[in-house]
Amino acid sequence: MESDVLLRKTFEVHGLDFDKAGETSAEVKAILSDIGMDPDIILRAGVVTFEAEMNVVMYAARATVIFTLTEEDLSIEVVDDGPGIPDIELALQEGYSTASDEMREMGFGYGMGLPNIKKTSDRFELGSEVGKGTRLLSVIHLNAK
Amino acid sequence: MSALAHGFRIDEEKCQGCLACMRVCPTHAIRVRQGRARYTPERCIDCGVCLSSCQWGAIAPTTSSVKDLCGFKFRVAIPSPVLFGQFPAGISPAHISQGLLMLGFDAVWDFAVEISLVDRAIKEYLENWKGPLPLISVACPVVVRLVQVAYPRMVDQLICIQPPREIAGREAKRRYSGELGIPRDQIAAIHITPCQAKTISILEPAERVESNLDGTLGISEVYNAIVASANTMKAEPEKPPKAVPIRSAALLRSCLGDGLSQVLAHHRYLHVTGISNITQVFDDIEKGRLRNVEFVEAHSCWSGCAGGNLTVANVYVTLSKMQSLLDRLPDMDRETLAEVERRYSTEDFGLGRPILPRPARGHSGNLSERVRAVREAEALLTKLPGLDCGLCGAPTCKEMAKDVSIGDALLSECIYHSNDLQRSRESKRIPKEK
Repeated sequence: MESDVLLRKTFEVHGLDFDKAGETSAEVKAILSDIGMDPDIILRAGVVTFEAEMNVVMYAARATVIFTLTEEDLSIEVVDDGPGIPDIELALQEGYSTASDEMREMGFGYGMGLPNIKKTSDRFELGSEVGKGTRLLSVIHLNAK
Repeated sequence: MSALAHGFRIDEEKCQGCLACMRVCPTHAIRVRQGRARYTPERCIDCGVCLSSCQWGAIAPTTSSVKDLCGFKFRVAIPSPVLFGQFPAGISPAHISQGLLMLGFDAVWDFAVEISLVDRAIKEYLENWKGPLPLISVACPVVVRLVQVAYPRMVDQLICIQPPREIAGREAKRRYSGELGIPRDQIAAIHITPCQAKTISILEPAERVESNLDGTLGISEVYNAIVASANTMKAEPEKPPKAVPIRSAALLRSCLGDGLSQVLAHHRYLHVTGISNITQVFDDIEKGRLRNVEFVEAHSCWSGCAGGNLTVANVYVTLSKMQSLLDRLPDMDRETLAEVERRYSTEDFGLGRPILPRPARGHSGNLSERVRAVREAEALLTKLPGLDCGLCGAPTCKEMAKDVSIGDALLSECIYHSNDLQRSRESKRIPKEK
C-alpha cells in the first residue's frame, strides 16, 4: 500500500541551461531543510536531484522533475524527452560517458551521474526509449533500513 | 539544555526597535516584537553585523575585561596579527608588545610557529581526505557557525584541524608551566581579538571541547592603553621597550591571505571574505558547482580579520601597514623554522570532536505536522505583500509567513492585514484587492 502523499512539487528543467543547473536541487534541499529533515536525507536527495538535473541539462531539451514526500519515503521522478539511452546497463557503469569535450571542460560528463544516483537511492528505476525519452525514479527511505 | 552563549547581548532599555539589526542579520535570527529586538540563539552565528548596525549602542560585545585576569598567576597575551597594523606610524611592534605588558600581561606570544604548524597540518589533512570537497577552514568562528546553522549538510567539510590561536594557547601554557613551575590552570592565555566571534569560540566551542584559551580582550579595549604606554616610552628614549617584538613575517602573512595559499600552491584553493560572498560560494558548493575546488578559506569580515568589529583603524590602512611591516621582517627566521620541524611530528592538531549541525527552531512535531506548517507558510506567503518592508518585525515576508505558521506571530501584525488599515480602507471606500 502506498502511504498518503504529504507534499508534491513539480519542477521544469531546461536543456543546455548550465546557468540554472543546480537550482532544482537547491530548491528541493531548501524545502527539506524547512521541514527539518535529517541532514543525511537532505544530502542524498540533493545528490540525486543534482545529478539527474545535470543529465537533463546535458542531453535533453526539457524535463519534469516530480518530488514526492510521504511518511515513509521521498521520491524523485525525472521524465525527459531527450534522445533516450540505447544501453542502460552500459550507462550505469561508472566512468561510461557520452559527454562532449566541451561538457567535460565544464567539469561534467565523467560518467558518474547515473551510477551515483543508483548508489544514493534505496530504490532505483531507469527506463528509456531511444528517440522518445527517459524516465528515472529514485526513492529514498526516510527511516534507515 | 542551557541557552547557547553568544558574543553579544541586546540591552532592552537602549533598544529603540528601529529594525536596523533585523534587516542586516544574515541568518534572519532577529525579530523586533513590542518595539524591542530579540534574537533566536540557535540561529545566531555571532557575525557581529548587528553590533555595527546599531546606532543606539544597544548591542554590546561580550569579551573579558582586564579585571578577569587577576585570578591567574601568569598571564600570556596572544595577539591577533591584526593588532600590529592598528597603530599610527612610530608605534612599533615592540611598543605594542610592551604596552600589553604594561596592561598586566606577563608575556606576549608570537604565534607564527603555530600558524606554520596548522598550515602544514591542513595540507596533510587535505592530501589524505577521501570525503566530499571542498574542505572548509575553521579559523573564522562565524563561518563554522554559518555552516552549522545554514549549511548543515556541509558540516563534514569543516576541516578537523584546530585554529592556530588554540594551538598557541596550549603551547603557551605548557611552556610557561614547565619553565616557571606554575600549574597550567593558573596560567591565563588571552587572545587579543579583532572580533567578538573569537570570544564565543572560546566560551562555547563548536566542537564541544574545552578551549585552550581563557578569554579575549578586544583590540578596541587595549588600544588606548597601548597608545598611552607607547607615548610614555617615546618620551624616555633612554629606556627602550624590553618586550620581544614579532620575529618573522609569517605571523602577519596569515592575515593578508597569502600564508596558506603558499602552502597550498598545488591545490585548488579559494580565499573568500565577506559573509554575502561566502553565502554565494557555499550556495554553489551545495548546488554541486564547485566540485573541483579542494579548500576554502573563508572569513566573515570583508578583507578578513583586519575588518573585525573590535578593531580601531580603517581596514585598508591596517592592511597596508601590515604589508609594510611584513616587508621589513625576515620571511621566516631559523629559530621559528626549527621549532616548526621539532613540533610538527609530535603534536596533535585535531579538533577533538567533530562539529555537528545546529538544530533550527520550529521543527517540533512529527513529519506530517512539520510538512503542514511548511505548506501553511507557503499559503500565507501568497497573502503577504512581498515587499520585505520589515514593519511586522520579521526581516522578510517569507520569514513572517514561517513565524505565523509556527504560531510565533499573527498575520494581523503585517501592515497589509492590520485591523487599523482595514478600517481606514473601508472608511475611504478603497476596494480591497483579492
